[in-house]
Amino acid sequence: MIKRKTLRILLWIILAGIVVATSAVYYVFNKPRRNISKESAVYTMEAKQLISEFKKDEDSATKKYLDKTITVKGEIKSIRTLDNQSKVFSLEDEMEGVSCTVDSADVVKNYSKLTQFTKGSNVTFKGRCSGMLMDIQIINCVPE
Amino acid sequence: MNKLILCFALSLFFFNAGAQSRFFTKDAKINFNSSTSLEDIVAESNQATTFIDIDKNEVAFSVLTTSFKFRRALMEEHFNENYMESAKFPKAKFTGKIISPIDWKNEKLVVVDVKGQLTMHGVTKEVTLKALITPGKGKVVAAAELKVTPEDFAIAIPSAVRDKIAKDVTIKIDAVYAPYQQ
Repeated sequence: MIKRKTLRILLWIILAGIVVATSAVYYVFNKPRRNISKESAVYTMEAKQLISEFKKDEDSATKKYLDKTITVKGEIKSIRTLDNQSKVFSLEDEMEGVSCTVDSADVVKNYSKLTQFTKGSNVTFKGRCSGMLMDIQIINCVPE
Repeated sequence: MNKLILCFALSLFFFNAGAQSRFFTKDAKINFNSSTSLEDIVAESNQATTFIDIDKNEVAFSVLTTSFKFRRALMEEHFNENYMESAKFPKAKFTGKIISPIDWKNEKLVVVDVKGQLTMHGVTKEVTLKALITPGKGKVVAAAELKVTPEDFAIAIPSAVRDKIAKDVTIKIDAVYAPYQQ
C-alpha cells in the first residue's frame, strides 16, 4: 500500500518536471523581442553630441553605445520610406548624421505623432544603437 | 543675352551630369539564407550602405551586423553574440572591382564578375561573385549573390547545431543607386 502511494507521488513529480522543462524550453525558443518602448534609455543626448563622439573615436563610441537603448534629440534633415515600409529619419545631417529607423509596426502604432514629424522639426527618438557606417544608425526607434 | 546665359547654364548642368562617377545608396537590401531541412534560417537588413564608381569600376559595401532581422529573437541573439560577435566586429564589408567589361552608357542588364575582399567577423577573404547590373539615367540597379562558408571566417558553430545550419550560406544583395553629391 505504502509502496503504491510513493510511486504515485513520484509519477506526479516526474510529470510536473516534464511540464516545467518543456515550458521553459518553449519560452526560451520563442523569446519575445526587446520592446524598446518599454525600456528606459541608458543615454539621453543631443544627436550632435553623438555625432561628434563617433567622429572623434569610432571604436570607443561603438563600444560605448552598441546595442544600448539611447534617446537622441535633433533636427530632421530628411525622411525616407524603405521597401519594407519602415521609415528613416535622418537627424542633423542627411549623409553623416544620425539615422533613426522606425519599423513598420511602430509606424502604425505612432502614426499620428509621426505625421507631425516633418523636415526641419526638432524631434526625439528612443532606439537601439547599431553602430556607424556613414551615419550613426539607431534602429527599432519609437518617437518620444 | 538671356538665351546665352541659359545655354551656358544648361551646358554646365550637362557637363556636371556627365562628370558624375559615384553612385550610392544607404538602403541596400542584404539577406542571407542558411536554411536546412531541419530549420529555416533567413535574415535581412534593409540598411546596407554601398558605393559604385563607374569610372574606376569599383564597388564598396558595408552593413552593421546588428541590423539583421530574423524570424525569432533567439536567432538574432545567437547570430550577434555567438557567431558574428557583433560587439567585437560590428561591421561586415566588401570592396571590389568589376573585372568583366561593362558599358555604363548602355542601359541594358549585364552580368559581370566582381572580385574583391570580403571582411566579416574580423577575417578578410578574397571572393569572386556574379552581379547583375543595369545602368540607367541617373541611377544604377544592381543585384548580386555569393556563397560563403562560416568556417572560412572563423565562425565556430557547435557540432550540436551544425546540422541545422547550411554548410554554405547564400548572401543576396539588392541595391538601387542614386548619384552621390559630395
